[in-house]
Amino acid sequence: MSIVIPPPPDFTTHEEEAAEFNSAASSRTWYHYLLIFAALLFGAVSVGFVGTIVWNSAPEWAHHTGTLLGGNGWQSPLGPFGGLAMIVGTLETSVIALVIAVVIGLGTSISIVFLIPRRFRNVVATFVELLAAVPSVVYGLWGFLVLAPWMLKTVIPWLNSWPFAKELFGNVGQEDGQSLLLASIVLAVMILPTFVAISREVISVVPNDLIEASLSLGATRWQVIREVVLPTAKIGLFGATFLALARATGETVAVALVAGGVANVQFHLLYPGTSIAAWIATEFGEAQGNEVAALMALGVLLMLVNFGLSLISRWLVSRQRKVLAVV
Amino acid sequence: MDQEFMAQVETKVTAPTETPERGASAMQLKNVAVSFHGRTAVRDCTFNITKNRVTSLIGPSGSGKTTLLRALNRLHDLTPGAKVAGQILLEGTDIYRGDITVTELRTRVGMVFQRPNPFPTMSIYENAVSGLRFNGVKKKALLDEAAETSLKSAALWDSVQNRLKVAASNLSGGEQQRLCIARALAMDPEVLLMDEPTSALDPIATLKIEELMTELKKRVTVIIVTHNMQQAARISDDCAFLLMGEDRAGELIEFDTTEKIFNNPIDPRTLDYTLGRFG
Repeated sequence: MSIVIPPPPDFTTHEEEAAEFNSAASSRTWYHYLLIFAALLFGAVSVGFVGTIVWNSAPEWAHHTGTLLGGNGWQSPLGPFGGLAMIVGTLETSVIALVIAVVIGLGTSISIVFLIPRRFRNVVATFVELLAAVPSVVYGLWGFLVLAPWMLKTVIPWLNSWPFAKELFGNVGQEDGQSLLLASIVLAVMILPTFVAISREVISVVPNDLIEASLSLGATRWQVIREVVLPTAKIGLFGATFLALARATGETVAVALVAGGVANVQFHLLYPGTSIAAWIATEFGEAQGNEVAALMALGVLLMLVNFGLSLISRWLVSRQRKVLAVV
Repeated sequence: MDQEFMAQVETKVTAPTETPERGASAMQLKNVAVSFHGRTAVRDCTFNITKNRVTSLIGPSGSGKTTLLRALNRLHDLTPGAKVAGQILLEGTDIYRGDITVTELRTRVGMVFQRPNPFPTMSIYENAVSGLRFNGVKKKALLDEAAETSLKSAALWDSVQNRLKVAASNLSGGEQQRLCIARALAMDPEVLLMDEPTSALDPIATLKIEELMTELKKRVTVIIVTHNMQQAARISDDCAFLLMGEDRAGELIEFDTTEKIFNNPIDPRTLDYTLGRFG
């Protein structure tokens, strides 16, 4: 018996559809041009934004790159404008904040996914995501008005009782308690919801298959988490870490409120300091001439760092997808 | 047409060769019922699983085969609202008894899942010995030996012995599933539960796993859930047929030797199902 293949039904190929879509036929109505205009406008604004910042910072990069990246002290209004204090301050506050946030955050996400009873799980997860949406000025205000006095009264005397307290932290800095440590803690509180929101997501998409497989091999719940869930989610957790780091380095208002705003390279955490973002925010008002270029240059630096961090975290998240895709 | 069709289907099923005489029970199920949040998913399951035989659980979707299987190594323990009633005895001991350690039970009753699920972050070797490591075995010599024996038992050793350090995700689907079998065998279980282990595999990989199962039953009692009637007929010695009742709960219709279930069942619904009249 021979097999008869029925003729294909009448259909339109995608190529034909595309041709129709792109043809200069009557389909090009006013909204077509509006959409193109909107897209072009967006492109122009983006290019203009990056271009002008780079252009305005160019004099500083051309003449004072060394001072900007390695000089200490910011002599307003004539210079030199050393950016080292801001760079170091950004690194210190972000890294300390990140360590605190990752340790507490990982525990929180694991608890949300595995320990909290199912019916509370969504409530807690939603609450965490809401915290991530609180404007940073509120965190800054809380840090300055609530956390700082509390730290002055309780935490700082305790820290000072540590051995080598003076070498580590210095003496109590400002009367109102502004310090790099306070900025780090406020930052940690701020990036914690971001980290928990993403890491919870990453942990909860680890396939149930793998959890059941390990259970059926006699693993305890803790072994399942430590030896199967966390290794499987590892890359995505790094992605969450880099996103949290990006948020910490870019944070402005909260740090400006609690760090103290002193442009001096400072390794004693109880002394005031500043970060790149906070310094730009507090100084631009009175800046003129070369100082504007210097602030712009700091802005370019911050922008590049954050581009880099975002790219890394995106790359990590896509790698995580690949890991899960083969499961 | 109907008669012609029937004639084709009604080939006599002969049980796999070398079926041992019915010996001691590996597991006994007495009135087992599983419910979720008070809704019964499967009930009235009473039958014995004989040592060194392959027992298949067959029935249409929703008849509770997988639910029943997962009760046998207490995998429902972590499902909120899940309740297992009746008795499940392993070597005469109720596995739901208070003093039974669930992790130890699961080393005695291993499981292979529907989709191959090797741990993606572990190598072939690490996957094979993962169960031993969970249970605190650290000696490299012991692990090496267990890896080799279990991979050999799963008919995987020859093709992977030179790439044990390679990530398990590099294996084909069939090889991954055999790695999962090896992973379970490394624990030296008494019973191996298999939940539609070939449903995600191509016919050649399926055939290899089926051949493996007849080999495996010499040392381990196999309980397999399968959707595929030919598979149940080919590989199982005993067969439990489950069906969804009127209240949508699965129940045991008939349990007997595979030969009897396929050729001469007591319940007419069993015959209807094995002949492909529904399901």
